[in-house]
Amino acid sequence: MKKHFLLTAFAALTLISCNNEGSTTNTVESMKTPQMENFDKAFKSLGDPQNRPTEEEKKRNTSELSDRRKALLVPASKELILSSGVTEAELMRKTGGDMSQIIVWATQIYMKKSEEIRKNIKSEK
Amino acid sequence: MKKVLALLSLAAFSLGYAQGGTLILNNYSKYDFYGYIIANNTTGNCYPHISSANPEMVRVPYDSHMGNGKALVYENYRDQYTSSLYPMATWSVALASGSSSITPRAWNNPSMAPGLVLSNNTKWATTKFVMYYPGTTDLAPDNFNGAVTLFNNCYSAPSNFTTPSGNGAEIFSITSGTDTITYIQLF
Repeated sequence: MKKHFLLTAFAALTLISCNNEGSTTNTVESMKTPQMENFDKAFKSLGDPQNRPTEEEKKRNTSELSDRRKALLVPASKELILSSGVTEAELMRKTGGDMSQIIVWATQIYMKKSEEIRKNIKSEK
Repeated sequence: MKKVLALLSLAAFSLGYAQGGTLILNNYSKYDFYGYIIANNTTGNCYPHISSANPEMVRVPYDSHMGNGKALVYENYRDQYTSSLYPMATWSVALASGSSSITPRAWNNPSMAPGLVLSNNTKWATTKFVMYYPGTTDLAPDNFNGAVTLFNNCYSAPSNFTTPSGNGAEIFSITSGTDTITYIQLF
């Protein structure tokens, strides 16, 4: 009976110790690559006063992001795609330089990478 | 293990059939977003019309965006429940106008799966929301609330607005072939 009690206590201690280990370390924010960070910044920059929709853009008959504002997202999107191991030539061949394709592709890579990071954090805990 | 595998393969399968694309909501502002997430048919009429129901309004805290992994991301009506940080347990589905046609449907109701009638005929289209000071129900200043909706949608609202103090909200899409990603951004 005593043995059991000791064992249980020991197990509980082990669990607590393992639990604490993960809590101090990584967050999605700290594990992002520089390319992911720049991609975020680009999206955030759409809210900067000079990047908000212009009167002309507001009058368009579509909700598609304007080309002017898509262009703000393209450099960081390209960086992110290239950082995933895709070559410049491949990028151009697949997208033909089309801004929407580049941004959508980058977003998909971004989501996948964040998912991986989240899983890593979970498995570390 | 088997369960995990089954889930993974399900996830992989559903990726190819994401309804009208993924919704990403980035709240870059210093206020909590509290709002309805609404999708509807955008060609011809407004139905099916699908709205968040449980919770009715989603709270996305201040400073929650892709940058820190706290964005609201809904791939589709079903899979969001297991993959999103803001799981929607029930959707309110209207197939036609009139309250009699509105039914609550759980995320795992077979009809909510991607690739079927509801998902194929609707798009993420609108959010109706208020902004609160973090953790409270005190309204953000300068009427930082209202609705943004896709252009020419059933709901009468702009696609974006800016408050006098410089906060703002917008909805836009980025479309590439059959892939559409819809963004709602709060600044």
